[in-house]
Amino acid sequence: MKDFIKKLIASAKDAGIEAAEAYLVERERFRAMTHEGEIIDYQSNLTRGLGFRGLVNGRMGYASTEAFDDESVKLLIKGVLESAELCEDTDVEFLYDGKDDAPAIDLYDPALDKVSAREKLALALESEKLAKGYDARIDSVSYNMIVTDKASVSISNTLGLDRSYTVNDCMLYTEPVAKDGDSVCTGSYQVVSHHFGDLDAKLVAESAAERAVLSLHAKPVPSGKYRVVILNEAMTCLTKVFATIFSAQTAQKGLSLLKGRLGEQIAAECVTLIDDPLMPDGLESRPFDAEGVPSKAHTLIENGVFKTFLHNLKTAHKDGVETTGNASKAGYSAPVSVSPSNFYFKPGEKSLDELLESIGNGLVITEVSGLHAGANAVSGDFSLLSKGYTVKGGKRERPVEQITVAGNFYELLKNIHEFASDLCFPEDGTGSASVDVGELSVSGAAE
Amino acid sequence: MLDKSIARDVLDAALATGGDFAELFMEDRRLGSLLLQSNRLEGVNSGRKHGAGIRVYTGLTAVYAYTNDTDREGLLRCAKAAAGAVIEQKNGGAECKPLVTSEYKSIHEYRMLPSDVETRKKVELLRAANAAAREAGDEISQVLCLYNDSEQDVLICNSDGLYVTDRRVYGRLVCQAIASSGTENQMASEAPGALRGFEHFIDTIDATAVGRGVGKAAVKMLHAPMCPAGIMPVVIDNGFGGVIFHEACGHSLEATSVAFGQSEFCGKLGKQIATPIVSAVDDGTMPGEWGSENVDDEGTPTARLVLIENGILKNYMIDRLNGRRMGMAPTGSARRESYAFAPTSRMRNTFICPGSDDNDEMIATMGDGLYAAKLGGGSVNPVTGEFNFAVNEGYLVKNGKIDTPVRGASLIGKGSEILMKIDRVGKEMKMAQGMCGSLSGSVPTNVGQPMIRVSSMTVGGRA
Repeated sequence: MKDFIKKLIASAKDAGIEAAEAYLVERERFRAMTHEGEIIDYQSNLTRGLGFRGLVNGRMGYASTEAFDDESVKLLIKGVLESAELCEDTDVEFLYDGKDDAPAIDLYDPALDKVSAREKLALALESEKLAKGYDARIDSVSYNMIVTDKASVSISNTLGLDRSYTVNDCMLYTEPVAKDGDSVCTGSYQVVSHHFGDLDAKLVAESAAERAVLSLHAKPVPSGKYRVVILNEAMTCLTKVFATIFSAQTAQKGLSLLKGRLGEQIAAECVTLIDDPLMPDGLESRPFDAEGVPSKAHTLIENGVFKTFLHNLKTAHKDGVETTGNASKAGYSAPVSVSPSNFYFKPGEKSLDELLESIGNGLVITEVSGLHAGANAVSGDFSLLSKGYTVKGGKRERPVEQITVAGNFYELLKNIHEFASDLCFPEDGTGSASVDVGELSVSGAAE
Repeated sequence: MLDKSIARDVLDAALATGGDFAELFMEDRRLGSLLLQSNRLEGVNSGRKHGAGIRVYTGLTAVYAYTNDTDREGLLRCAKAAAGAVIEQKNGGAECKPLVTSEYKSIHEYRMLPSDVETRKKVELLRAANAAAREAGDEISQVLCLYNDSEQDVLICNSDGLYVTDRRVYGRLVCQAIASSGTENQMASEAPGALRGFEHFIDTIDATAVGRGVGKAAVKMLHAPMCPAGIMPVVIDNGFGGVIFHEACGHSLEATSVAFGQSEFCGKLGKQIATPIVSAVDDGTMPGEWGSENVDDEGTPTARLVLIENGILKNYMIDRLNGRRMGMAPTGSARRESYAFAPTSRMRNTFICPGSDDNDEMIATMGDGLYAAKLGGGSVNPVTGEFNFAVNEGYLVKNGKIDTPVRGASLIGKGSEILMKIDRVGKEMKMAQGMCGSLSGSVPTNVGQPMIRVSSMTVGGRA
């Protein structure tokens, strides 16, 4: 691989590419799924992908490959030359020379690497068994999965940047099905961690099964406006879809309503939003971003005031500020863009129960679906299939399903009353505590 | 693409620990994309995806290993990795039968391969769509036009002696217009594509018309009030309206869920699952259509499957492994995003067949409700049948008359219930392109239907 990159950089120089950069991702992945005590799917894989970019007359060209033969060198060079030539983007493009050291953070757990396939399968089977046995009403388990992942990212360029890191993590996920009479519902739970020891089969199985059972005989609520608390996990789903509004790239393209609003009160005073790529054990932690710029934490919203966008080198230069170290690539073949890392709302003081006491009557939304279609970061609008439970006199009353919850994320930020203290990061770097968001429109059926 | 003797060695290596069936899938794919945004060509990217995946069956279970190294050593390593994961069978062990090339006449014709077409011609499409979208006026704050194409060459061989190749060429134009008031944004988009060469954008797709349509629609939505909330009759237009069937029924008919008893339509073959005016088909043989292929990703020829006939469930979509579990033959429905995914049953060109009802009548007799002119995507939980899809452009209907446009919202329901509430099916079926995500990754699918009416649905608006 080193030879391939050497050849590539040499050919790039010969072809007149002023500065060039290779972004290599090597990934080792394991996934197994079980059903009724059997392993039904087993995948174990090692892959590599190389993203190549180069500056030609100040324009950045891109190409990528998964094949590493001589033909690929030619195709990559040709791709970058053509790409740069056609590009009409007048924004100044950069490669980073690596002058600042990247902080040392530990993302690789060697113990995880040593876990055998047998142990992984045994854990998955245990989780399925425990879920099924949790309650007589658990009929089956629709999905039960264990995944382990190891990725090495290396960036090297003609300005002298040469850095890499390795990260590994694992996930245990289960989705049991509860049945009681005509009522059929699923519940799910997962643990994602850098450490195999955190994958607690009992916790995953029982939490998921409990959710399924608690949803039995759920009914809609009548349409109307309700006081809503969004459960921590559901809030992270919503936040993920709208995270792009904080990207300087999104704003500079006219796709974020936060454009031009730095320094303004864009959220309630209790709202503080942080991006921290150096969080210990954070699921999106990394020592440097996709341009090799060292990681740094930032507060995007402080007590409701909008403090900073997230930037890469190009967007920062355009806005006359320093990069925030949030360059990202949606895969080795994608162009450099901007995204958050470990991205979370600062939690509050009350427990979830105390939060429900303070709202008295309303609705807790535990799950939202259809986010890729029913939520739009450009408009901020969302209208989502939801599940949850009603709250009466400050206490959980009955389960709810087949409702939609609708609103606008920008308005929601302003109407937040309070966060609880139950901050969690359910599946990746996005985190939130449960939150009282005030009133939302709910559509359902008459009882 | 791969010497038969090497292929046979690889398959034998995969079966060395007692597996009863082995399959090798090899893929080489060229991709290109162009993005025009802020009136400038900003993103020009090209790539090459290359790899192979080996699957080994032991009874009803399978293991899968994939790699980028497709020389003889790389493939043997991959085969050994797969074999190593098989739980050793005492009396198992098949041998690879002699590989015989499957010849067939391609249903699909590619006249202008994207890699032979000058980039300049592709850029012209984007410029035309961009200019037309911006004709909608000063409220248009941004237009994104994306063109992408790919040429995928696949080879599938297996221990039954199958050795077959297929070439799939795709092209798609995506146009998104954003209208802004300064404090509010609304968006409209269209994304036509086909399993065809660049000729599709000369003889069928008019980029100017696409752009003009999204520009107008974005402005319309900017000035539209909120969608109502509540339960009401809904008329869904043809074309991308077919998303309702895709979510409410389609996924739940895939063996992916059915084989494990995890679908609300399990055990319902021969039973009434929809009103008698509903018939639906999944057809992988339609020439040049986005969801078609000559053979599926297991090498089985694609077919025209009648899913529902006059409301009666006739067929599931079945892949080889799940077919074993169900005791049923595969239907040419096995698909995967790339060699990095094991295949499973997926949809192709899935649509509600034309009926005999009149579009004007179905609106005139609906009372108060919603006319959903343009839908977005959606999702479903096949176990419970709970589905959702987004309306991107709607119109209030008052007393049987189309009234004002309204902004988007999600529509929800349970599949089995909603199929029994379709009370009108129009005459003119149209399809539209989408990308469908599931266990085996993202694959191109068509959705389609004539205009239909659902007697009542929950509409998730804000008004």
